[in-house]
Amino acid sequence: MGIRERLFGAAKAPAPASDDLFDEAFLARLELLQVIARRLFRGRQRAERKTRKVGSGIEFADHRPYSPGDDIRNLDWTVYVRLGRTLIRLFEEDEDLPIRIVVDVSDSMCLRGGAKLRYAQQVGAALAYVGLANLDRVGLTCMSQDTHVTLPAIRGKGRIFRVFDFLRSAQTGGATDIRAGCSRVAAQSNQPGLTIVLSDFYDLEGAFEGLNMLRFRKHEPVAIQIIDPAEADPTGSGLRGDVRLLDCEGETERDVTLSPRALTAYAEAHERFCAQLQSSCRTRGIGYMRANIDVPFDDLVLRLFRQGGIVR
Amino acid sequence: MTLAGWSLSQLGLLFGVGAGAITLLYLLRMRRRKVVVPFAALWERVTRDSESRKIWRRLRRLLSWLVQLILLALVVAAIGDPRTNAWVRDPVTVAIVVDASASMAGVSDAATEETPLRRIDRAKQRAMDQVRGLGPSDRAVVIVAAEEVSVASPLSNDPSALLAGIETIEPSHGEADLGRALTLAGHAVRDNPGAQILVLTDGALDVAGAQALRDCIDSPVQCQVDMHTGPAGNVAITAFAARRYPEARDKLEVLAEVQNLGDVAASVTLDVLADGVSVGRRPITLAPGQTRREVLTDLDAARSRFEARLSAEDPAALGPDFDDVAFAVVPPLSPLRVALISDGTNLFLDAALLNLGDHVRLDAAEGTEPDLADYDLVFFDLGNNPLPETLPATNLAVFDPWRFEDSPFPIAKGRDVARPFLTEQARKHPLLQHVVFKDVNIGRGTTFALEPGDDALVRSLGDPIVVMREAEHITLGVGFDPRQSDLPMRIAFPLFVDNLVRYVERRTPGFVASAPLGLSQALGLADLGLSPDGITRVEVTGPDGHAQARPVERGRFRMRALTPGVHTIAALDGLAAGAQVEVAVNQANPDASELHSMLDAMELPDEASADAAPEPAPLTEGPLWTALMLAAAALIAFEWATYHRRVTV
Repeated sequence: MGIRERLFGAAKAPAPASDDLFDEAFLARLELLQVIARRLFRGRQRAERKTRKVGSGIEFADHRPYSPGDDIRNLDWTVYVRLGRTLIRLFEEDEDLPIRIVVDVSDSMCLRGGAKLRYAQQVGAALAYVGLANLDRVGLTCMSQDTHVTLPAIRGKGRIFRVFDFLRSAQTGGATDIRAGCSRVAAQSNQPGLTIVLSDFYDLEGAFEGLNMLRFRKHEPVAIQIIDPAEADPTGSGLRGDVRLLDCEGETERDVTLSPRALTAYAEAHERFCAQLQSSCRTRGIGYMRANIDVPFDDLVLRLFRQGGIVR
Repeated sequence: MTLAGWSLSQLGLLFGVGAGAITLLYLLRMRRRKVVVPFAALWERVTRDSESRKIWRRLRRLLSWLVQLILLALVVAAIGDPRTNAWVRDPVTVAIVVDASASMAGVSDAATEETPLRRIDRAKQRAMDQVRGLGPSDRAVVIVAAEEVSVASPLSNDPSALLAGIETIEPSHGEADLGRALTLAGHAVRDNPGAQILVLTDGALDVAGAQALRDCIDSPVQCQVDMHTGPAGNVAITAFAARRYPEARDKLEVLAEVQNLGDVAASVTLDVLADGVSVGRRPITLAPGQTRREVLTDLDAARSRFEARLSAEDPAALGPDFDDVAFAVVPPLSPLRVALISDGTNLFLDAALLNLGDHVRLDAAEGTEPDLADYDLVFFDLGNNPLPETLPATNLAVFDPWRFEDSPFPIAKGRDVARPFLTEQARKHPLLQHVVFKDVNIGRGTTFALEPGDDALVRSLGDPIVVMREAEHITLGVGFDPRQSDLPMRIAFPLFVDNLVRYVERRTPGFVASAPLGLSQALGLADLGLSPDGITRVEVTGPDGHAQARPVERGRFRMRALTPGVHTIAALDGLAAGAQVEVAVNQANPDASELHSMLDAMELPDEASADAAPEPAPLTEGPLWTALMLAAAALIAFEWATYHRRVTV
């Protein structure tokens, strides 16, 4: 932190420059990530996930009475011979996995040079690339209270640059509103699927509710909480004395006297908040992972795969 | 209080501007630095507990503002350079004369059983108060009036140096030389602004001291007296001496004189110690002003050092203890050396000398021997032989010195007399004690021509025929030859010889009772039992171990002892180099032991009485503004430690 920043506080930073967000080095790391991911999931046929939807699969699922118009090739003749009833055989339909990656672009993600937003974008792009490479349909959404832009689901590895463009061009700013954002994601999704929410979840009331709403709409939400260590534990920041705290997402002001004890109390409260969010998620079967921006994004993605919390 | 710097209006303007600036800065300081945080809701939850301390924070800020105003006030006051009235008055140069006589060791009026203050302690306290009350432009000198006048602290405005000098003052053992002390004080402050002399005394002065004080008061220089008196009861040993009996030199007698100088009767006990062993104890009751002499007789002469001490059941009756002890030293007895120069025909003279006893050593000698002067007494009885050309410089007894015309005898010849008759004799002269020359038949003789100072012991029809000249040495001339008379056949002859020898013996060596304290006195080495031959320097060592070399002139040296007790005299050169003798020094001065104030009878003018000591100045090391700045610095440190200790970044 520079002297000016220490003296006058951290100002709201603009969105990170897009030019260096997905550079050659990033792409190289994505390729490596794909190879590693392929090795991890070797033998599994991606895009052939069985769903409860009865369709044109080959694995028997159930019977139902024949209705006019049904394909008679699916009539179970054996049952007809034995029981004299006309039943249609139903099969589980094999379909690809819809993946929706939701990136929080609120102001809280843009503080301190937008490090958290940059990290979330890189992680989101990496996940999208791995998904596209495995023939999944991947869609993206950037959300905040003021922004909600969506990239419709795309398929194919070659579409990754659309993902980059979308993330680069997405408008940032606004307050964090996880609940509203998730509601809109759930409403817009024709097909529930894996929904990965990348956010700092600095929304005391709506963070878990938004995730829970996704779950309610048959999504499989996964929360990846992006954490800046300097924000989570400000005891080493050197902040002392009488200051006026400004909320980066609103007009809220608060006069406080910062002392080592107050900073320690904040760090402990932040840890309690994260732990409570994690506990709530796990109670509802929602995947949760804490992502420290000091950890390289590809390490985080691999850890996600290893833990198997995202891809079933 | 006076402002030596800026005026009050200027200071008020400065304070107003400064206070306004401080208030403005404080208002600006209340605009808090803004810090943007990502999660204000969590901060609010954390800091909700400190809401209750908001009032205290506001109060603390107010207190800090007040502290800054106080700081400003201190600095502004320092710029004003305030001075106390003691600092802005005219400068004073005061000479503080402290009477350090022996009487100042007496108990003060302010003494209690718990704090037995002496008069000197009160005087020192008064001197210290005077020094503490000095302003920055004042100066003082501290003069000690004891037997010798000394300067305890030279003219200075440094209170620490002056106080240190006062601390060293202790009463002496003798009378104060107030005259010289006041003269010195007058010279010290003369031509200085605000010259003053402050005399701190108990008033127990001798006549000379009282007169000197009167002269000081009458002088143009302001001279004031501060009295520190106390109880006047005192019993003192005013004389103490020991001597050998003239007739029995192996025995001693000791005299002690005790005087009650107080106003009430006192009962004391006199103890006399000889070489540490008690040889006498006398209870004495004395009326006010009474003097008693006590003599202890027939003491063994083997004891040479005597000490007298006074004691009493009521120590207050004795007063200060400096005069309750006295010393005496009896010089060692050396044998009298007598030389007889004779033709060997006067056996009666030989017999008379041989009967004198062990303390006389008789030698037969030739008249031309060069060391005859070493003898204490030389008899010349040459009969029909002439005297040598020069006579030795010692005590001489010469029979028939003018038998030949070219005699070197110092007493001039009168005339020759055939068959002189001894008609008159000085009966009371010690040499003629128990001696009768009447009816002595003499064949021939010679009379003498007397000079002033010569004693005619025996006359023949008015003409002196036996004479004695007593100067540095005794010269006895007997104007006839014993062989030509029937004197040797009479009992008077050996008695006369014995009287002569004892007379010389009493004269050399004599005895010294004791040397008085504080006075410069010439002492003869021979009187102390030390042969003066070749001695040019002696070393005098006091009972306190302090040694001082003194020159010797003609066998005598001057000694001024300031400490009572037994002093040791050591020859540094000469034949007796390294030999030591002792001499006692006693206070033994009723004037010094007198504790009554003489100033009451002098009727000093009112303005001669010293005022109370001035009030101490607030600071003596520097002006008051330095204290104000120190207070401001202390306040800054206090504020930093309590309020601004937080590191604000």
